Amino acid sequence: MKMSASHKTLFVISGVFLLILSCLGLVRGEVQTSLSDVQEAFFHYSDSDLRHIVIQEFRLPRVAMAIIAGASLSAAGMLMQTLFQNPLAGPYVLGINSGSSLLVALGTLSGISFFSTEVGVIGSALLGAFIFGVFILLSSVYLRNQISLLLFGIMLGSFVSAIITILQVTAHAQSLKAFTLWSMGSLQAVELRQIPLILVVFVIAIVLSFLIIKPLNILVLGEEAVKLMGYRVKRLRWMIVLITALFTGLVTAYCGPIAFVGLAIPNLSRILLKTQRHGVLLFANLLFGALFLVACDALIQLFSNSMLIPINGLTSLIGAPFVIFILIKKLK
Amino acid sequence: MIALKNLTIGFGHELFSVHDFNFEIGRVYSILGRNGIGKSTLLRAIAGLNSPLKGSVLIENNDIVNMSGKAVAQKIAFVNSNPLGVSHLPVDEFLLLGRSNFTSIWGAYSKDDLDILAHTKMLFQIEHLGMKYTNQLSTGELQLCAIAKAFIQGSDMILLDEPTSALDYSNKRKIYDLLLRQASEYKKGIILTTHDIELAFKYAFKFLLINSRSKTLEKISSFSEAEKEFLI
Repeated sequence: MKMSASHKTLFVISGVFLLILSCLGLVRGEVQTSLSDVQEAFFHYSDSDLRHIVIQEFRLPRVAMAIIAGASLSAAGMLMQTLFQNPLAGPYVLGINSGSSLLVALGTLSGISFFSTEVGVIGSALLGAFIFGVFILLSSVYLRNQISLLLFGIMLGSFVSAIITILQVTAHAQSLKAFTLWSMGSLQAVELRQIPLILVVFVIAIVLSFLIIKPLNILVLGEEAVKLMGYRVKRLRWMIVLITALFTGLVTAYCGPIAFVGLAIPNLSRILLKTQRHGVLLFANLLFGALFLVACDALIQLFSNSMLIPINGLTSLIGAPFVIFILIKKLK
Repeated sequence: MIALKNLTIGFGHELFSVHDFNFEIGRVYSILGRNGIGKSTLLRAIAGLNSPLKGSVLIENNDIVNMSGKAVAQKIAFVNSNPLGVSHLPVDEFLLLGRSNFTSIWGAYSKDDLDILAHTKMLFQIEHLGMKYTNQLSTGELQLCAIAKAFIQGSDMILLDEPTSALDYSNKRKIYDLLLRQASEYKKGIILTTHDIELAFKYAFKFLLINSRSKTLEKISSFSEAEKEFLI
């Protein structure tokens, strides 16, 4: 994968920013710490030192999750935009994470204890994302228009939130609490011990994505072009839906819904890199996505003394105007 | 070489049949016929995009239905009648997609790929388009690029569905000249469909007509034979 000099420069600058903001995320907070404290907390952890506990138990998982969630959602968005040949597609607008929400809601609110366990929640979230991915894929056959597919996804989202609201009314207090906590969504919900499992799913999804780089490159010319180059279109479609479900389900399971990252960052990547080579694009989406969410998190932490802005609120605040900008550019 | 054996072409219902015909390399075949008679359907059947109602398409004596997609792509390149431009896709990148069967698993190009790209762009006189996005090209430029991409693919046979439909007279001639030269110099077999009958007959193509009365594919050699079909 050869990169042009301008791409390299862009990646290096973003990488440096990501590093700085991540360190900032580890250092800043109510408990005063320094970079050497972070180093100490990593290599000479002592559970009697409050600073070490804060860094390892609170800040590290939060920053790690910001990186993983931002990267995952952006990569998922890129895959969906290529699959549907639609720059307005994304895991949130097409309702993929509604699928996760629905299944997690059904599971936890059913009162069956398995579904409230960690494995239960992740399993439900991944399965829900996959089912809705397939559902959207099947409907896309009938919804050839780019805007109709988008509206369909948004309607799907509204429909699901209606079901969830009704479920909540009828649910037991105990299970309602579990679900409400989950559905609030934040980067802070994840614990350090959960990070390895999250990383495994994350890495699997990335590796799978890199395996379909070539057919993805051709897919921008349409499914017929993919077939003409000797690839199996059906297999490719399933592969994309599976990977999207892994990325989206993973994030939704641990952070709840995070809007617009998966729509805005893939568009931004294509605009900045001026290419449709998915090897470069995937890398860019992972990097820019991570940077964006870590930056959002840093912004939240900055105001955390006066008010705690939910991550979903902030990404929507930035993402929604950007989507409108793309829409206007497209409709012109 | 592509051989058609007892082929019945149709889309749901039967359109016409081909008893036995061989397409050889080193020649340009021009398929003529009225609108909707099944020219594109025939081309698409040869490319393996849709299967014929009956009979078989043989590529170097292998039935296309038994061949892997990759094997077919090595032998046949297909150019759609209306290629679409894609945003953020530069022409160079678009052309290099034709090399997909040669590039690494990540799609990285070798020096060879880039040499072929440069050579083909020179042949088609599209060097100046390299960095332009494909959705910013005119229809004619895009058609030219799509044909160039098929050549870059390096397959023996190239199928073109109305390759000159969006081009002006001089570009039509440029394409026909280029196709003839490619066929003889680079030993390519080229099959195209066209409505530019008068122009096409000025070239040393092999002509095939889908006869609307007999519903068969027949060889013709003169413009007057084609006129009989189109003047009724």
